[in-house]
Amino acid sequence: MSFYPDDLLYSREHTWARIDGNIATVGITDYGQEKLEEILSIKLPEIDSSVEQDEPFTMIESSKTVDELISPVSGDIISVNEDLSDDVGIINSDPYDTGWLITVDVRDLSILDNLLDAWEYGDYVEEEEEVDE
Amino acid sequence: MEKWRIIQFGRFNAFENMAIDEAIFRECQGGHMPPTLRFYSWERDTVSMGYFQDAHREVNLDYCSANHIDVVRRPTGGKAVLHENDLTYSVVARDDTTHFSSDIMETYRVISECLIGGLHRIGIETQMMEEGRSRTKATMDAYCFSVPSQYELLVKGRKICGSAQVRAKGAFLQHGSILIDTDPVHTHSAITIEEGNSEDGLERVKASVTSIRKNIGDGFTIASLCDGISEAFEERLNVHFVDGAITREEESLKKLLLQEKYTKDLWNVEGKRTNEN
Repeated sequence: MSFYPDDLLYSREHTWARIDGNIATVGITDYGQEKLEEILSIKLPEIDSSVEQDEPFTMIESSKTVDELISPVSGDIISVNEDLSDDVGIINSDPYDTGWLITVDVRDLSILDNLLDAWEYGDYVEEEEEVDE
Repeated sequence: MEKWRIIQFGRFNAFENMAIDEAIFRECQGGHMPPTLRFYSWERDTVSMGYFQDAHREVNLDYCSANHIDVVRRPTGGKAVLHENDLTYSVVARDDTTHFSSDIMETYRVISECLIGGLHRIGIETQMMEEGRSRTKATMDAYCFSVPSQYELLVKGRKICGSAQVRAKGAFLQHGSILIDTDPVHTHSAITIEEGNSEDGLERVKASVTSIRKNIGDGFTIASLCDGISEAFEERLNVHFVDGAITREEESLKKLLLQEKYTKDLWNVEGKRTNEN
C-alpha cells in the first residue's frame, strides 16, 4: 500500500516536492516507484541546468522500461543526490527521504498551486488505478 | 473495430531503424497517429544497446568495428542484442489505447500474448516467463537474452524473443528481437557477456537462447511469421490493421533524428545528446 506524507506537494506525474523557503527537494512518489518496479539506473541532470514544471528533467530505467521523470516545479537545479550513483535502489526503498533526486531553486512559488496535497494525490492515484484495471 | 496501422517488413540500417521507431513514437505522443505495428530487420549485423548501457564496458567495440558490425543505442531500456538474423517488431501506442494502460507489465503481457499467437501460427509453442529474475542480480550480464524477464518468451526454457520499452508523454514504444537463427560465438565476441572466464560466458550464451530455425528448421518465411504475428494481434486485441507507411511528418522527424542523434557517436557510444550532459 502506497503512502503519501502530508508535508509534501505532489504532481500528477508521480513526483513530489518538499518546499523549504524557495527551495524544493524533488523525488518520486511511493506509488511512482511501485509502478516502475525495480529501478536500475537514473541519469542525474546537471547542476545549474533549469527545469520546467510538467516537463521532463531526466530519464530513469526500471527493470522493464525507460521513462521520463516530470518536474513538479520550475527553476534551477542546485544539487543532485550523488548517493544514487552508488545505490539507485534507495529510490525504491526510501522514496521520500534518502531517495530524493534533485533540489531546485524555485523561480515562481505561485506555480505550486498547480500541485496536489496528500489527500488530493491519494484520490488521483485511486482514480488512475481504477482506469488501469 | 479499432483500426491500427501496420508498416510491413523492411530492411534498413541500424540508425534508420532507431530513427524510424522514435519518430513514430514521438508523433504518436501527440495523439495524431493510430497505434502502429512495424516489422523490420537490419542491413548489416548490428549491436543495439539499451539506453543506459556503457558501450565501452558492455560492447566489444573493437570486434564490432573489425567485423563491420554497426553499433546503435536504442531509445528503450534493457541490454544489448546482436541483430544478425532476427525479425524485429515495434509497437507504438498511447497509454489510453484500448487494451493498454500506464501499467508497464500489463503492456508487456498483452504484447507477449500476441507474439505467442504469432509464433504458434508457424508451429512454435512458447511459454511466457511468469516470474522474472531480478535485473540487479544480473548486472554482470550485458546480453539481453541471458536474463529472461517477466512475460518474455521461452521455448523449452530458452529465450527466443527479447523486448524493451520506453514511455513518455502518455505513449509507449516497445520493440523486440525474435531470433531466427543465432551464432553464439559471434554474439559472445560482440557483447561483453561477463568478466572472467570467456568459455563460461560462451556456454551461458549457448544455454540461454534458442531460435526459430532451431525449432522448426526452414519451415517458415519472414512473410509467414509477420502475417502470423499481425493476425494474432488482430485476434487478441480485436483490431483491424490497415497497411501504411511512415507519414511526411514522421519522415521529417526521422531525418532530424538521424542527423542529430542516431548517426552520432556522442549518442551511440557515449549515451549523450549534447556535450553538456
